[in-house]
Parts: sequence; structure tokens; C-alpha cells
Amino acid sequence: MHNKATLRLHSSFAGALAIILCATLFAGNSFAQDSEPGEDEAMREYSERGADTCLRCHDEDSEYPVLPIFKTKHARIADERTPFAQLQCETCHGPVGEHGKRKLKKGEERQPMLYFGINAAAAREEQNGICLDCHRNQSRIAWHGSAHELADVDCASCHKVHAAQDQVLTTTGQPEVCYPCHTKARADFYKPSVHPVRFGQLACSDCHSPHASMTDALMAAPTLNQTCYTCHAEKRGPFLWEHAPVAEDCALCHTAHGSVHPALLTRRPPLLCQQCHSQLGHPSVARSPAGLADGMPSGFLLAGSCLNCHSQVHGSNHPSGVKLMR
Amino acid sequence: MKTASQLSIRAALPLMIGAALSVNAQPEVDTSQWDCKFCEFEEGFSGDAEIGAGYVWEDDFKFGEYTGLVDEGGYAIFNARATYSGEDADYLDLTATELGLDARSLTIEGGRQGSYRLNLRYDELPHNVSDTVRTPFTGMGSEDLTLPPGWVDAGTTAAMTSLDNSLRDAELETHRERLAVGAAFVPADNWEFGVKVRRDTKEGTQSTSGAFFLNAAQLIQPIDYVTDEVEAFVAYAQREWQVRVKYYVSSFENDNDALRWDNPFTPFTAGADSGELALPPDNEFHQVGLAVGYQFSSATNAGAELAVGRMRQNEDFLAATTNPNLTTALPRDSLDGEVDTVNAVLKLTSRLSEQLRLNAAYRYDDRDNQTPQDTYSWVSTDTFSAATARENQPYSFTRQTLDVSADYRVDPRTKLSVGLDHENVERTLQEADETRENALWTKLSARAGKHTQASVRFAHAERDVSSYEPVPETQPAQNPLLRKFYLADRSRDEAEFRVNTTPGESLSLGFTVGVADDDYSESTVGLTDSRLLNVGADATTMLSVDTSVHAFLDHQTIKSAQAGSNAFSVADWRATQTDTINTLGIGVQHRVSEQLDVGADLAASESSGKINVNNSQFPDLEADLYSLKVHATYRLQSGISVRAAYWHESYDSQDWSLDGVEPDTIRNVLTLGDESPSYDVDVLLLSLRYKF
Repeated sequence: MHNKATLRLHSSFAGALAIILCATLFAGNSFAQDSEPGEDEAMREYSERGADTCLRCHDEDSEYPVLPIFKTKHARIADERTPFAQLQCETCHGPVGEHGKRKLKKGEERQPMLYFGINAAAAREEQNGICLDCHRNQSRIAWHGSAHELADVDCASCHKVHAAQDQVLTTTGQPEVCYPCHTKARADFYKPSVHPVRFGQLACSDCHSPHASMTDALMAAPTLNQTCYTCHAEKRGPFLWEHAPVAEDCALCHTAHGSVHPALLTRRPPLLCQQCHSQLGHPSVARSPAGLADGMPSGFLLAGSCLNCHSQVHGSNHPSGVKLMR
Repeated sequence: MKTASQLSIRAALPLMIGAALSVNAQPEVDTSQWDCKFCEFEEGFSGDAEIGAGYVWEDDFKFGEYTGLVDEGGYAIFNARATYSGEDADYLDLTATELGLDARSLTIEGGRQGSYRLNLRYDELPHNVSDTVRTPFTGMGSEDLTLPPGWVDAGTTAAMTSLDNSLRDAELETHRERLAVGAAFVPADNWEFGVKVRRDTKEGTQSTSGAFFLNAAQLIQPIDYVTDEVEAFVAYAQREWQVRVKYYVSSFENDNDALRWDNPFTPFTAGADSGELALPPDNEFHQVGLAVGYQFSSATNAGAELAVGRMRQNEDFLAATTNPNLTTALPRDSLDGEVDTVNAVLKLTSRLSEQLRLNAAYRYDDRDNQTPQDTYSWVSTDTFSAATARENQPYSFTRQTLDVSADYRVDPRTKLSVGLDHENVERTLQEADETRENALWTKLSARAGKHTQASVRFAHAERDVSSYEPVPETQPAQNPLLRKFYLADRSRDEAEFRVNTTPGESLSLGFTVGVADDDYSESTVGLTDSRLLNVGADATTMLSVDTSVHAFLDHQTIKSAQAGSNAFSVADWRATQTDTINTLGIGVQHRVSEQLDVGADLAASESSGKINVNNSQFPDLEADLYSLKVHATYRLQSGISVRAAYWHESYDSQDWSLDGVEPDTIRNVLTLGDESPSYDVDVLLLSLRYKF
């Protein structure tokens, strides 16, 4: 299916690629400097006693308690990849410098440490770079350029590394981490027809891959439909008689999070169907309230509406199923 | 840290980040006195277990739609979490959730951190759809639905004299069981192997329907599905580049090939006494994936993914009809259906300077349907042979997108982004061979003060269609003025404003408003306009050290307008749909004393759907949900606590497509007589929790 449009797209992408690469090479020296620790690092000393320096103050009564980290995978000395097998707190937070001074002079401000999160002074890329230094593994190969990365989401916005249980890693707790940014999704899950996220049966990450994906909406599989098929494999087909929009994009008729219409439909049949079907005869006829149960009850309107007869809307493998009625 | 000025930390940041980023370079640090004597490393077992009982007042399917709490009466509460940590980074985590419900889950993961990981997950997911349906058919849950002895056929449902006495209550429900086991190994530095195997079993019933020419009956379809999935990968990752090769296979099996049912109506033609529906055929999908990431420098990253797959389906065809008076030869015994898929993405991001970053992404999605085309003589609804044979239409499409954008940091607090997204979709066998869409967008993100972030985004997109020609194979033909909405010219405008602020350590506020407006200006029949408005607010505050409050509000309006033509000509009727959803939630947590915590969560969602066809208004579709949960936890002694909770939920819905529609209400459709759900349910829970 290659034609001029394909060539145009390929040419456009090659052009964009060339511009970025040229600009990168042109400015490469300055980036190299950015990526290396500066000579000034020597000005800020590592602590003499490691984590003990930090834990003198950051105990369970501290404004910034950190002790629950010892319940987490980051605090496993036998795993040499972990921070506590390396430079302990200073692995991620950098050298303590004067921050660990016991006493401050009157009016003196405590030297800041590198910290993480939405209000952190460090830029997102820099914060995330520290995490990715160890976690740039197979599940984050495509982090750069992903929707969350482009939106400046920092790792600490979703992950709480000092908590005994990182909420975003639990099925029931995860949505609460996502909702503050995805407010509409929370409301969607209270609608009459939903996927059961509100009930703790599904987590956002059952359908979405927050670190990287091949789709804009960070779907877990390479396409939306392939993601849906992981639970609804019966709709994969291929069928003898296909319904064209079904094979292309489930979202043409369904909304993923919640709907006021049955089966998560975007709109109510028969109007939903009539947005694409206008054949002479019953598909074209306006179905008015006259066809309700207390009028002249219409099979084109009530119960399953169009699906009363055309029940095989996802495709039929019946030799006589061309009208999706078998 | 709290008192540090932005100026001082910004001055110190480069060297701290540089040091943190140099972890793998292992800076030379004298750690001889790093005793970590205050480090509370955990070894051995820890965890907690909760055991108790709950009681539900009221039977209701909708209330227990996904929890399984459908029956009045008691149920057991059992939750547990246990963790073992060994000296050698050995670990074992177990989580058991709601073992007393139909919706239960068990997860076990163990291994040696950094070496290998084994895991098992078992889930049960009920979906209780309705217990208010009625049907005269026997054999529910099987492939054969038969009418009871003495059934009297009739031309209309009202004339089915034995219907009332034949109706029996039925339930529409499915139950999934999922068992997944997985393993991952780190055989050497930078390498990782993983494999996951999952079996998903879904059993139960759902509604479907079958027709005989102008008459139809809603039926109960058996569900007996098994889906097996295997996913295996090998990955190599180091700082500059990473690569992963993955293989995925999905195999779907349906234990039921067909659903046969007796015709409850007087047959239009001789022999149309029963019908047969094809149920979803077995299918397979294989996919190989390759992902590569490369870091040219700290400023420039590239990533590419490729997935090549093949879907196959070759279930034996059913006969063209069960009508013994009609015979039709088939061109083949099975479809030999095959679809090849190729999905690829190539992304590049580069920070050209402290101010400027460029991003580009190219995506390619191809569905190449290789299913053979044949001409099928067919029988309409087991009633009569169709006059015209039809050729199956194996649809293919190729979607390509190119997104380029630039981020410019006006200052450290302000970022301006602009982007151009281009999409091109080529399709076969449909009305439009090609659609092209260009979207231009801009977004301004800014921080005000230390704790406030705001962004505003505007986008405009235009979709053009190469040409739109009705497909001759579609019989009867579509109105030539119709434009299917996903193949139509479209103009889209979007705007979104967000602000989040944390003015103090104890207060967080968020506000979002977004609108998307679609105009199908060239569509005179079909969807002509649609609009989505969303307004949301979110607040969390610590009123005191012991009291926190969380609240959210959300409003959505989803509108659409369309036109139709009774006369198969120019538009002569118009319709609008407007869905309005208002959602509110408030939660309070309060520590009364060292021993007692109390809390409450209130949620309300009111939705309505207004439909107007040619200035005639349908009754509103309504669904109102109110939920209140109150809970208290009292710590008896170290490690032991008692939890009590009360949950009240009410739901009221009205749906004109169901309400008042008895099995014999529609003259030519024998329905299941379902009702829109409403309930008022109270639940009380009492449990004992032991922490070890």
C-alpha cells in the first residue's frame, strides 16, 4: 500500500531526522560537557559516615522521613545494583556537602540537597536522568519521546521510593496516582458502563504502558485494538464478514473508560449506527419517541435496537453472515 | 531543605546532579566509616493479615457487577500481605486480596534480587450483567435453545399464547479466571530474559439475538472461552543503548461453535423453524517485536520499535443454513483467514541547547488482510436464498503519522511548545482510499512562584479525504450524500487549560478545563458536529497533622449532531445527543487518637442523556449513583487492630430502551424483558488485622 503519500511521509521524517542530527552534531561538544560531572564536584564533599549522616535527622519524626526505604528493593545491599550497595543516600542525592552540618550559624540557611518531585529545583530531565541511570532497562527503552516524557513528567511524580509500598505499583492504589493529572478518567469510572478500575479489578497499567509505548495514548500493546484483544480475543478474527471500523479502531464505537450508554458505546443506537448506515429503507428512517414502549413499540429503537437483528457487529464467520445477522 | 533559596540550590544543582549521574562511574569515596548503623535493613518475614466478615443487605446484580456481592447475606473478608527478605537479596512477596469474594486475587513473587524473579498471579473477575431477564427458551448456557413443549408459534409476540407461562428467569453473567506465571533472569550484567504465560478462562452467558427475516428474538449466548498467551523476551541494556527482542503469541479457543434456536414466530417460509448463529471462531496471533534505544548524548535520544504479527483463523464453516428446504454450496470449507500486521515507531528527541529541544516521531501501522476473497451464495436468516451472491471484503489499511515538535524554554519557568502532527491513512475496499490530517498545536507551560504550574494548549486539525465514493459491494447502496464520520472531512479545534498549585505543604489544588470541537463540514448526511467539554477540579489538604481532606469535582458534556434522510436523498431529519455527567467526591481521614483512625468517602455521579430527533425529545436517560463509605480502625495493641466499615450505595437509572419493554411489547422482537437497574444497598464490615 505504498504510494506518494508514503513517500511524502518518509521524506518528511528523513528531513526532520537530518535536521535534528545535524544540529546535534553541531552542538555536540556542549552536550558532552553537560553529561560529564563538572570539576566543581570536588567542591562538594561526600559525607564521612554515609547514610548515618542523613539518618541522624531524617528519622521517623522528621519532616522528610525516609526510613521506610529500608523495606524496599532499593535497600538490598546484596544486590550490588542498588543505591545502598553503593553510596547509600548519596547515590541518588549526590554528595552531602555542607548540608550535613550539625549546627548552623544564626541566620544561615542549610545547604540544599538534590531532591525529587514536582516542586524540586532540578529540571525534570535531570531528575529522571538519575533514575534512568540504573533503570534504563528493557521496559524503558522508548521512554524518551513518549507522552509522559514529552509532558515533563518526573519519576517522583508517580513513584514514592521512600514509601514501604509504592502506591503506583498496586492494582487498587495505582489509579489514585494517575487521577490528579487524568481527572476525567476518574469521573469516567463512575459512569454506568465502565471497565472495572473503580472496583480494583483493573489497574491503569493493564491497558497502558506509562514508561513507553508505540501509541500516543501509551497503550500496552502496539495498537489500541491489539491492547483490547488481550482481554477480548474473541473479537480479533479475522472474520469472513468484517465490519470495517471494528477491524480498524475499537474507539470508533466504544469509549475505553466509561459511558452513559451500554457496552461503553460512545453514543446510543440506533443513532450511533445511523452515523454510517444510510441505505434506503429501515437504516435511513428517523426513529422518534413515537416508537417507545408506550407508543408504537419499535424493534428498531428498543431493547437491542439495530442489534436486535444485526447482533454480529464485531464480525461474522457464518457463510450467510454478510448482513452480520448470522 | 525547606528553607533553601531557589538561587542557592540552582547554583549547587549541576555538581550534585553530575555526581549522582556518575554513580556507575563509581567516584572514589572513602566509605570506610560508612557503617550504616542507623539503617533499619529488613530481614525475615513481615506483613499483615486481615480476617473478618461482611454482610450485604439487598440482592442486586448491578451493585455486585464487578465485586460479586450480588446476594443478601454474609461473606468472608480475607486479605493478606507478607514479605520475606533474606540476607542474600532473596525475597518473597505474597499479596492476597478479597479472597472471600468472587473477585479475588493472589500474587506471589520471589527470587533473588538482581538474579532471577519468579511470579504467579491468579485473578477472578466476575461480571454480573443482569438477573432481570426472562426467556421462554430452555437450554440456557448451551449451544441449543429450544422452546418448551406446547409452544404456540404466532406472527407477533402478543399472539404467542403460551409465552407468559413459558417465561423463566435467567441471569446474564460471566466469570473470568486468570492464571499467569512468569520468570525473569539476569544471567549476566546488562542481560535480562523473561517469559510470561497466561491462561484466561471466561465462562457464563451474555445476550445476543437472532432474526428470521422481519422477526427477531433476544437470546442467551453461552460463553466458554479460553485464551492462552505466551510472551518471552531477551534484552540487553547498557547506558548508551538498549535492545529487546520479544515474541508474543495469543491463542483463543471457543468451546461453542454455534448457537441454534427454535423460531418462536410463525415461519415466513417452510423450513425456517430454527436458526443458527456463528459464535466467535478460534484464532491465533503471533508477533515478533524488536525495540532499540540509543543515546547519542545526554541531550539526544533515539528509540525504535518494530512489531511484525500474523493473525490466523481457519475454523470450519457452519452450513449456510439449517433450513432443509434451502441448499447452498460453499466455495470453501473454512476461511483460511490471515492478516499480517506491521507496527513500527521511530522517535528522536534532541535538546539543542538549554532552551531548545526538538522531537520527532514516525509511526507506521499496517493491517494487510491476506484472507482469500470468494463469492458466497447466501441464505438470509435461514428463511430464503438471497438473490445476489456476495464477495467477502477483507479490509486492509495503512496508517502513518509524523509528529514533529519543538520545546523552547523562554526562561527556567516557562516552556513554549509548538508541534505539527500529520496522519495519513490508506484503506482498501472502503469509501475513501485515503484520508490525510494535519494538526497544528501549541502549548505554553509555566511555573508561577515555587509551587504553581499552569499550562494552556490549543490545537487545530484539518482532515481531508482524497475522494469519497460509495462502495458498489455494499447492497443496498448507501445514500451517496452520507459521509462515514471516520472517513469524512473534519475540522477539529481543541483547547485545554490546567493549573496545579501546592501553596503550602498541606494544600494541593488542581483545575482543568478542556474542550474539543469537531465539525464535519462536508457531511450532509451522517455525523455533522460533535463537542466534548470537561471541567475538573481536585483538592487535597491537611487541615491538621491528624486530619486530611480530599475532594474532586468533574463535569462533562458530550454533544453530537447528525443528519439522516428518510427519502434516500438530501437530509430531511436531524438528531442531537447530549450526555451530561457531573461527578463529586469527598474523602476525610482523621486520627482521633493514637489508637483510633476514622474516615469517610462520599461519591456522587449524576448522568443524563438527552436525545432529540427532528425536534421530538426522548425521555432523559438517567443514572444517579451515590456512595458513602465510613470506616474506623482501632489499634488494640501493638500489631493488632480492629476495622469496622459501613458502606451505603444507591443507584437509580432510567432507560427508555429497557423500561416497560416486556418480552411481548415489540410485536416482531421477542425480547429478554430486561429492566434498567436501581438499588439501595447497605454493607457492614468488621475485621481484625494482625501485623507481623
